[in-house]
Amino acid sequence: MSIQILDPTHENDFAQFNPAKRLSSLEGATLGVISNGKEGTKAFFHAFERELVDAYGVKEVVQRVKSNYSAPADPHLLEEAQEWDALVAGIGD
Amino acid sequence: MQLASKTYGVSDIADAQEFYHSRGWTDGLPVVPPTADSVAACLDWIGMPADFLVGIEPVRERAITAEKLAINAVMAGCLPMHFPVVVAAFTAMLQEPYLLHGATASTGGCAALIVVNGPVRRELGMDGTFNALAASDRATTSIGRAIRLILINLMDVRPGHVDRSTFGHPGKFSYCVAEDEENSPWLSLAEERGVPEEASAVTVMSASAPRQIMNEWTTQPEEILDTFVAEIKANMRHYSIWPGNYAIVIPPQLRTHFEAANWTKADIRRYVYENARILRSEWADCGKSAVVRDRGDTEYGALADEDSLLVIAAGGPAGGFGMIIPPWLGHKSRAVTMAIGACIDCEPPPAN
Repeated sequence: MSIQILDPTHENDFAQFNPAKRLSSLEGATLGVISNGKEGTKAFFHAFERELVDAYGVKEVVQRVKSNYSAPADPHLLEEAQEWDALVAGIGD
Repeated sequence: MQLASKTYGVSDIADAQEFYHSRGWTDGLPVVPPTADSVAACLDWIGMPADFLVGIEPVRERAITAEKLAINAVMAGCLPMHFPVVVAAFTAMLQEPYLLHGATASTGGCAALIVVNGPVRRELGMDGTFNALAASDRATTSIGRAIRLILINLMDVRPGHVDRSTFGHPGKFSYCVAEDEENSPWLSLAEERGVPEEASAVTVMSASAPRQIMNEWTTQPEEILDTFVAEIKANMRHYSIWPGNYAIVIPPQLRTHFEAANWTKADIRRYVYENARILRSEWADCGKSAVVRDRGDTEYGALADEDSLLVIAAGGPAGGFGMIIPPWLGHKSRAVTMAIGACIDCEPPPAN
């Protein structure tokens, strides 16, 4: 006896997201960090900012926090991100 | 019926179990192997083509088709007649206020509570009396389980993958309850939320585990509700202080006292809204003084408004118990009610 059974998964049948274009250097770049804003992340992202500036020559780090840490970034943040050279999705707990 | 899903050949039922388990396509329990015939029967019952787009998950942009929902429903043990409830419940979860991705990925570990109202309960033999919150009957158990398998297989909500729950809770296997409308003088939950009496509907809520209370020593509605309120306040102190949807489940023995005093669900919602409040300083009583800071006098309510409380009549006939079902985490996810068989974004019929 043989039974033909069906695949219950999405079978990867969805639009793939393309990775953003990588910077050749962080020197002189403006980086944004959109954090989920959880309490425990604040010190980490401030230390991260210092590291980016001191060790990698980043010109400016723009820190932003989502209004809902469980939801996608607010539209106005994504609009602002167009002005940055690169963006870090700041997830922490 | 033409189905798009990939098919696999297995030698027997036991082989099918190992096939699905080994790929991480189950919740750990045995599944009903979904065949083309059993899946087509579900789709025929609801009158949907296999490629019908039920919705798109907004964060990860996953398109959800009727065929894939049906496959998972069959695996969960659903009969074709159960399938419309599954479709309505998952459609409700895809609505923006439910915040599906956040609710299913969170370390907070909530599950989707599904409350079923209307004539469909009787048609499916759903029982809102004995053991109402746990495996009371075939339909509620398999419908709740179908939602979990859908999350696992279509949204990758597997432990350690998208599901980052620290603990989760047993409701993740199945968390479905039919309201005991026949033995209640009250409006049903769905009616309170705008669905006509003659229609069937589901309400979904991102829910923590239920917390049981007991008060068999009074007939006064206020005193009974004070016990419910105390448990809600305990949840606010020990877990999350933020307001959100809370559900309370009231069994017949306690409903009798509300009925004798002519209390409606609206009266209950108002009382809980006014009384389920704590001061931030109360955190200091349970080891959280570090986050009281200088805001000890700030008052927090469990409910943002009276409508945030879902009052459900269910439970076996004996016992002065009650259940509090807290939200996942405040108001980040909101309960959504949807009529079964309702069509979202459908074009209205052409005028004659």
